Amino acid sequence: MSTATLSPTTPAKPATASPYRVTFGHLLRAEWIKLWTVRSTIWTLAMTVVVMVGLVAAVAGVMSTQIDDAPSGTEAIDLSLTPFLPAVQMASIAVVVLGVLAISGEYTTGMIRSSVAAAPRRTPVLWSKLAVLTATILVVAAVAVALGYAVAYLFLSRVDLAPQLSEPQVLRVLGGCALYLATIAAFAFAIGALLRHSAAALATILALLLVVENVVAAIPWEPLQYVSPFLPATAGSKITQTDMTVDMVNSMSEHGANLTAWQGYGVLVAWVAVLLTIAAVLMKRRDV
Amino acid sequence: MIEAQGLTKRYGSKTAVNDISFTVQPGKVTGFLGPNGAGKSTTMRMIVGLDRPTHGTVTVNGRPYAQHRSPLTEVGALLEAKAVHTGRSARNHLRALAATHGIPEKRVTEVIGMTGLDGVAKRRVGGFSLGMGQRLGIAAALLGDPRTLILDEPVNGLDPEGVLWVRNLVKYLASEGRTVFLSSHLMSEMALTADHLVVIGKGRIIADGPVSDVVARATRSTVRVRSPQATQLAELLSGPEVTVTAVEPGVLEVLGATSEGVGEAAAAARIVLHELTPVTGSLEDAYMSLTQDAVEYHSATVPGTATTAQEQSA
Repeated sequence: MSTATLSPTTPAKPATASPYRVTFGHLLRAEWIKLWTVRSTIWTLAMTVVVMVGLVAAVAGVMSTQIDDAPSGTEAIDLSLTPFLPAVQMASIAVVVLGVLAISGEYTTGMIRSSVAAAPRRTPVLWSKLAVLTATILVVAAVAVALGYAVAYLFLSRVDLAPQLSEPQVLRVLGGCALYLATIAAFAFAIGALLRHSAAALATILALLLVVENVVAAIPWEPLQYVSPFLPATAGSKITQTDMTVDMVNSMSEHGANLTAWQGYGVLVAWVAVLLTIAAVLMKRRDV
Repeated sequence: MIEAQGLTKRYGSKTAVNDISFTVQPGKVTGFLGPNGAGKSTTMRMIVGLDRPTHGTVTVNGRPYAQHRSPLTEVGALLEAKAVHTGRSARNHLRALAATHGIPEKRVTEVIGMTGLDGVAKRRVGGFSLGMGQRLGIAAALLGDPRTLILDEPVNGLDPEGVLWVRNLVKYLASEGRTVFLSSHLMSEMALTADHLVVIGKGRIIADGPVSDVVARATRSTVRVRSPQATQLAELLSGPEVTVTAVEPGVLEVLGATSEGVGEAAAAARIVLHELTPVTGSLEDAYMSLTQDAVEYHSATVPGTATTAQEQSA
């Protein structure tokens, strides 16, 4: 180690125009490097695929041995997509963990100071990170859903119940699964950006998805029944359900809004938009 | 060039930095000296825009940091805590930072070589020692070949070889015409490294000037006199400008007079002297006297000893 290895530069350091610039494209590239150079990304994305395909296989496998007399029409569509419901719920846990850690990991470790020093306008860091994260999860989730579909097709075609891609509702549910996973991850990302602490943000999002929403949905107290359909995962996951399931869930409570699949997804997107806006404003203001 | 104007930072009711103004010139090493909690890190964080000043402004190379289009080539900063994701390797950390500006990977390899991290660049930063973390922080600061360097306690945790390396590095960078601003709570380190000093205590600037000036102004030169007629001599010397302290029986410490003056006065009064020694305060003494009223966290005195600062104020 010596200073002799320093590159020679001009004696007086003038205000030379640097060829380097902070651009959104450069920030996307930086976030791409950051995403793939920590272990949590590989782990959570691998979990997403394994859980998705594994649960679809398990449920479809059981169905293929239990169903003797396959229904037809909308009932058949609903039944053929049944394996995806638990699969997308479990896979959402994995992507939510990734969504939180992608941002809160920077705060917890202090990396955010380097990130913000490199891009002092700050919010472009948030947006580039979000873009890279959601695009990556969307692609991985689409692959997981495609693999799940192949597995479901193999098992369910034995009992004449294979989901048909020619059916618009099947496409909507399968595409909806990938879309939901990317969007709920963006929701988790927003929580992470707001709370800036991995443990706190993970506890919050998991408690919300696994406990709060289920409890609120289960308690037969009227005011809660008005709130329940608008909770992020309850609303957003409608896009992963067939119309028949959506109607059935809606009919279970006497009060509150009966959201369609796309309306429910819209509610989740609205949650994400509001939380991200607050997160961006706070990011501009808070010391890091 | 760094210019701070009336910079103030309050955290709730606590004022960390209180209305400070200073200029850091290019071409020399400027030391930012002060005890723990004096506001050094807060000031540096405000310079690079991590903390928002409560009042005042600070510019780097003529503009607020956030307005630079390529901040890493303007300012390289090493800030106190490890600002690195512990799960990422050193090389990947630098690659990600370089990517934000489109800085080529060749430069990443260069700074890894410069900072002696070749052997550990592929290891995850979580396992780094404090010294290796400091080297990585310095590598990140050098990444954009910046015109201004801000280094917060850069020698913290470095081994003697590393300390020497940082000292030579910052001098070299300043000799190239760059602005170098580095903080330390170690006066001795600053005396060896810096050309100019900004001394801060309790959030205020206590001294700002060339190192030799700051030291000279803050150092108290005294004369030690031993005489069998100490009491008589003390009465003779005492005056509005001169303070005489009896250190032990027969030994006086005279502040405010030269050894020549004391000797001549004693000779004129026919007082016998056994010892006459001019005593120049050390750098540490100078630092202590500058900051003794501005130390945020006072240590309890160890029984049987006394700190230099307390001796001086006694």
